[in-house]
Amino acid sequence: MSRFSGALQLTDLDDFITPSQECIKPVTIDKTKSKTGAKITVQEDGYYEESESGKHKLQKVEITLQDCLACSGCITSAEGVLITQQSQEELLKVLRENQALKATGETDKVRTIVFTIATQPILSLANRYNLGVDDTARHLAGYFRSLGADLVLGTKIADDLALLECRQEFVERFRDNPQLTMLSSSCPGWVCYAEKTHGSFILPHIATTRSPQQIMGVLVKQFLAEKLGFSGSRIYHVTVMPCYDKKLEASREDFYSEVNSSRDVDCVITSIEVEQMLLTEDKALHLYDPTELDWPWTDQSPENIAWAHESTLSGGYAEHIFKYAAKELFNNTLHELDFKQLRNRDFREVILEKDGQTVLKFAIANGFRNIQNLVQKLKRGKASYHFVEVMACPSGCVNGGAQVRPTTGQHVSELTQQLEALYKQLPLSIPDNTHTKQMYSDFLDGAHTDKAREMLHTSYHAVEKLNSALNIKW
Amino acid sequence: MGRLTLEHTLQGHKGRIWGVAWHPNGNTFASCGEDKAIRIWTLSGSGTWSTKTILSDGHKRTIREIHWSPCGQYLASASFDATTAIWSKSVGEFECNATLEGHENEVKSVSWSHSGGLLATCSRDKSVWIWEFAGDDEFECAAVLNSHSADVKRVVWHPKKDVLASASYDNTIKLYSESALDSDWDCTATLSSHTSTVWGIDFDGDGERLISCSDDKTLKIWRSYPPGNNAGIATPENIPVWKCVCTLAGHHSRAIYDVTWCKQTGLIATACGDNAIRIFKESSDSNSDEPTFELVTAEDSAHGEDVNAVDWNPVTSGQLLSCSDDGTIKIWKVVD
Repeated sequence: MSRFSGALQLTDLDDFITPSQECIKPVTIDKTKSKTGAKITVQEDGYYEESESGKHKLQKVEITLQDCLACSGCITSAEGVLITQQSQEELLKVLRENQALKATGETDKVRTIVFTIATQPILSLANRYNLGVDDTARHLAGYFRSLGADLVLGTKIADDLALLECRQEFVERFRDNPQLTMLSSSCPGWVCYAEKTHGSFILPHIATTRSPQQIMGVLVKQFLAEKLGFSGSRIYHVTVMPCYDKKLEASREDFYSEVNSSRDVDCVITSIEVEQMLLTEDKALHLYDPTELDWPWTDQSPENIAWAHESTLSGGYAEHIFKYAAKELFNNTLHELDFKQLRNRDFREVILEKDGQTVLKFAIANGFRNIQNLVQKLKRGKASYHFVEVMACPSGCVNGGAQVRPTTGQHVSELTQQLEALYKQLPLSIPDNTHTKQMYSDFLDGAHTDKAREMLHTSYHAVEKLNSALNIKW
Repeated sequence: MGRLTLEHTLQGHKGRIWGVAWHPNGNTFASCGEDKAIRIWTLSGSGTWSTKTILSDGHKRTIREIHWSPCGQYLASASFDATTAIWSKSVGEFECNATLEGHENEVKSVSWSHSGGLLATCSRDKSVWIWEFAGDDEFECAAVLNSHSADVKRVVWHPKKDVLASASYDNTIKLYSESALDSDWDCTATLSSHTSTVWGIDFDGDGERLISCSDDKTLKIWRSYPPGNNAGIATPENIPVWKCVCTLAGHHSRAIYDVTWCKQTGLIATACGDNAIRIFKESSDSNSDEPTFELVTAEDSAHGEDVNAVDWNPVTSGQLLSCSDDGTIKIWKVVD
């Protein structure tokens, strides 16, 4: 079963293919002087070219994840590529090598290992191992430190910054054009789908604010590296996320720093992979000594580890921005929002009325079918929303494609309800706080500055449809 | 034993004809093909069939299948241009009043549910989509089902319930229904037994049985065993279990592209790559758990090339439509 979101499972070919079989990416072949009569033979360990000068092995074509992302062809075959580049095996290999370097005293090559754990995987694993939410985070921190982690972080700071940036972006766009529809940007499944299939039409609507994962990335590789006094490339940054799509996001060219010659996030592992790793270790999570998480951002760390952002389960974008915009633009202070369910529970909207007129209309669209309905409405000019929080998974991130699976006989919705209940018990994060203020002043030259824009925003690229003959099939 | 007599041979389309479909009133039908056009044919007083309307501006590529809504008001067309068009005759002439987009590539089949409130489509992109028809031109995507591992060739709704069946290049048939728990559509059964692509499927009149035809040259009959069935078939998830109760092999010499189960007479007709149309009926001494079917007649050179589709007239018993790569449509009658 694929761990990608539904949006990424729609593909081009009968693709039980691996990249080598039907991949349509053109490959440059360095041709040496061509001789006629050369034969290619296939042997167990590869392809060989036979010519008068003898047999020599042909180079294997390497397809990277970046190639997959930049191509309009299949996407699930990217899963095969992910296995080699972003997997628990790769992670464990890097960690082992790092330990070995430490042991041999090659300190100049040793990397600082930083783990970032997102809230949804903590909930998933808390439910799986029947532990308290913050305790789960502490045991996970203990486990990761046993593997060689130097720092283990939560995502609160980045979740807060993402909301602050996104709401600011919304208010600016709205003042510029009150007819606009802005779409959320934190779900990489949705962004990737939009780039591949609706390109230039949808992309201008998508917020430029980076997702919390990529904000964490920049904070770790720039701010934290600076604080520790070395280059970002000396840090190996691992995130623990609720879906596979986050691996694609981390691999985007946009999040590769030329200066540091490193990615903001080097490796993404998911809840289900952590479960597998623990299974392989044959040691239950609670047996790892709990340790506190690190908080390198400001002097005083917050009193909790996992925080809720509003009441919805994917970062609280629609809710938070709606409240902020109501206050900022219409001087209305709202506390609880009354979301109205439309056709199904994964499509909800909320409106703000003033003098009988609808002045703000927001929606939450989760799952691929609702993405479809939203896109079609936008295309036909029938979507009168100012902002839509779009997530590729039904029920949002808490039900991410790579969260721990339901136990036998348990329905997905039952599991989602359990995680939802855990989420509702978390303390509510208020993004305007001393920590975010300090981040803006210490690291971003203040809010609304060029540096803040550069560090906390990104851009999107429409993928041209390839109409090569290889694509045609009856 | 019966035989098949040819009543009419109709020409009009350029190139191969992929689909034919009777209007529920039985005196109109539609056809579609690689000329990107839909033709609507009616029977005149003098007993001849002629094209009344040509709808040629709806699709940019081959039209693979068409299907009338149960009320007869709407016609849906599935095209290789990745869209499904909905045509209606609200103001005298047929007009395309909705285009359903979303499939990544070729749409292979389209089907209306028994009430007309739901529409299903399937595609080479391996997905099956269910759309809710909210009236006028309003269609909302209700589900995107990614259960198949390859190209999905056909979707057909149960004649009485909101149960959908799909057939695929992955050799399986899948059934779907809406979960009462969370009103999401789920795959409830996977029917595996064919050894190659399943091209066509059809339910019998009450929907308790399903017939499938395949590239493996066989027909298979599947029966639904609901919870508490008399045969003692276990239903672990408390939903009907489908079992293959009959395989008809040895009759077809090539891939079978379509099968239609007459809701009135119980006759089964097949469209085959060997240019023949064959008619089967259930034996009089057939047992419901191990039914037997016999060949009524085989029309060997029914068409000059592959027969692509067959459809029983829903009103006139024993009247059968067929279409072929040879560019003709034929109307047949089963006579005793």
